[in-house]
Amino acid sequence: MRPLVAAELVKLRSTRSAWIPLVAGLLYAVLAVVAATSLAGHGGNPPLSAGWLPELMRGSGGRFLDGAVLLTCIILTAGEFRHRTSVTTFLGEPRRLRVVAAKLAAAAVTGAVVGLVAQVLSAVTSAIVLSTHHVPLDWTSPGVRGALLTVPLLAALYGVLGVGLGLLVRNTAVAVGTALMWALVIEGVLPSVTRAPGLTRWLPGNAANAVLHGAPWTTETLAAGAAAALLTGYAVALAAAAAFATAKREIGTATG
Amino acid sequence: MSTISIEALTKRYGAVTAVDDLTFRVAPGRITGFLGPNGAGKSTTMRILLGLARPTSGRATIDARPYAELRDPLRHVGAVIDASVFHPGRCGRTALRIAARSARIANARVDELLELVGLGNAAHRRVGGYSLGMRQRLALATALLGDPETLVLDEPATGLDPEGVAWLRGLMRRLAADGRTVFVSSHLLAELAQTVDDIVIINRGRLVAHAPMVELLDRTDAASLESFFLEATSTHSGSSS
Repeated sequence: MRPLVAAELVKLRSTRSAWIPLVAGLLYAVLAVVAATSLAGHGGNPPLSAGWLPELMRGSGGRFLDGAVLLTCIILTAGEFRHRTSVTTFLGEPRRLRVVAAKLAAAAVTGAVVGLVAQVLSAVTSAIVLSTHHVPLDWTSPGVRGALLTVPLLAALYGVLGVGLGLLVRNTAVAVGTALMWALVIEGVLPSVTRAPGLTRWLPGNAANAVLHGAPWTTETLAAGAAAALLTGYAVALAAAAAFATAKREIGTATG
Repeated sequence: MSTISIEALTKRYGAVTAVDDLTFRVAPGRITGFLGPNGAGKSTTMRILLGLARPTSGRATIDARPYAELRDPLRHVGAVIDASVFHPGRCGRTALRIAARSARIANARVDELLELVGLGNAAHRRVGGYSLGMRQRLALATALLGDPETLVLDEPATGLDPEGVAWLRGLMRRLAADGRTVFVSSHLLAELAQTVDDIVIINRGRLVAHAPMVELLDRTDAASLESFFLEATSTHSGSSS
C-alpha cells in the first residue's frame, strides 16, 4: 500500500494545476491575519487583545483552506480520468479498492499537512502582528491547541471528500461545479426550500463551522464533537460510494 | 513462459455486441498479430484481458489468471493500450517514475528505459509537448518497466516514424526470441506481415481466422496478408475458422 500512496503523492507534487488552490489557501492563511488585524479597533471591531490569537488561527485556516484542499483533490482525482492516466494507474494496480484507499490516504495526509502548514503560517503572522502592537501571546490557551488540531483535521476530511467526489463524478469541471454549487448555493437554500430550518446544522458546511469554532449544541449548530462525527460520516459515505463505483465501472480509453 | 487465453468471451454494451463468444490462445515465444476492421472488438478484447473492462461472459486470462489477480502485474504483463495516457503537464521521466513507484521499480530502470526508447534527451520535457510518436515510445517504456513475460500492444506503431517502426519490430522479435508472449494489434498489415508468427483475425466480435501466418497464406492461396484480411473480413460476417 505504501508504494501506491507514495505514487499518489508524486502525482500531487508533479501537477501544477493541483497546487494552485493549495498555494491560494496558504496565502489566504497569511492575508486573512493581516486583514483582520488591520481592521481591529475600527468600525465596531474589538481592539487587539490576547484573545485574538486563537481566533486569527481558526479564521485564517478555516473554510477557505478546506475549499482549497477539496478543489485540489477533485482536480487530481477527476483529472486522472480526463487525462486517462487512470489507465496506467489501474494497469499498475488492478485491485481497484487498493487504489481508492491509496488516493484517500494521500488526500488525508495532504490535507492534514497543508492544514498544519497553514496554522504555522497563521501563527507566525499573528505573532508578528500582535507583538508589534504589544499584545501578549498565550500559546498554551485551549483555543490555540484547538485550532492546531481542528484545522488539519477538517482539511484532511475535505481531502477525502474531494477524492470521493472526483472518483464518483470523474469529470473535473462537473465535480468542481458541483462542489461550488453545494457550498455557495445549495447548502444556503436547502433549509428554506425544504422548510426545515433545523436541517442547517446537519449540513457539511455548518458541521465544519461547528468543529472549527467549537460551538455549543443549539437548534442551529451541533456540538463540536458531534459535528466532527457527522462530517466524518459524510466523508466515509462519499468514500464508500466512490469505492463501489470505481470497482464497478470500466476504465475508459480513447480507442474502442 | 506465459499463455494468453480468451475463452468464450462475450462483451455487450446494451444492444451492441462488441465481442461475441470469442475463443483463442496466444502462445509464448511467438508474436501474435491481432487483426480486424474498426469496431471489430480488438481493443475491447484487450481491455478485458487487462482488467480495464469486464466481460459479459467468458474469461480472458494470462497464465490461467485474470489480470486483476496478478500480483505485481507490471512484472508479468506490459501493455500499450493508448498513447494518450500521460498527464500533459508532467515530464516524461516523472510520468514513468509514477508508474515505477507504484510497482516498486527503481528509478534507475526508468532512466534505462527512457534511453532504450530514445527519449533520454526529452525525458525532462512535458509530455504535452511530445509528438504522438514520442508518447507512443513513452507508453512502450511504461510497458517494459517490469521486464514482463507478456506484452499486450494495441496499435503500438501508431505515430512512430519509419525508424521507430523498425525499432519496434526488432524489439518485438527479440522479446519473442526470449520466449516471451507478444500479442499485438495493428492496422498496418504490411508491417505486421513482416513481424508476426501467428495471426488472429476477428470481425464483428467473432473469430474469423487463427493460424500461423505462413500456413494461413499457403492454405488459402492468398497473395498477401492484406488480400487475405480483406477477403476474410468481407466474406465472414460471423463464422470462425
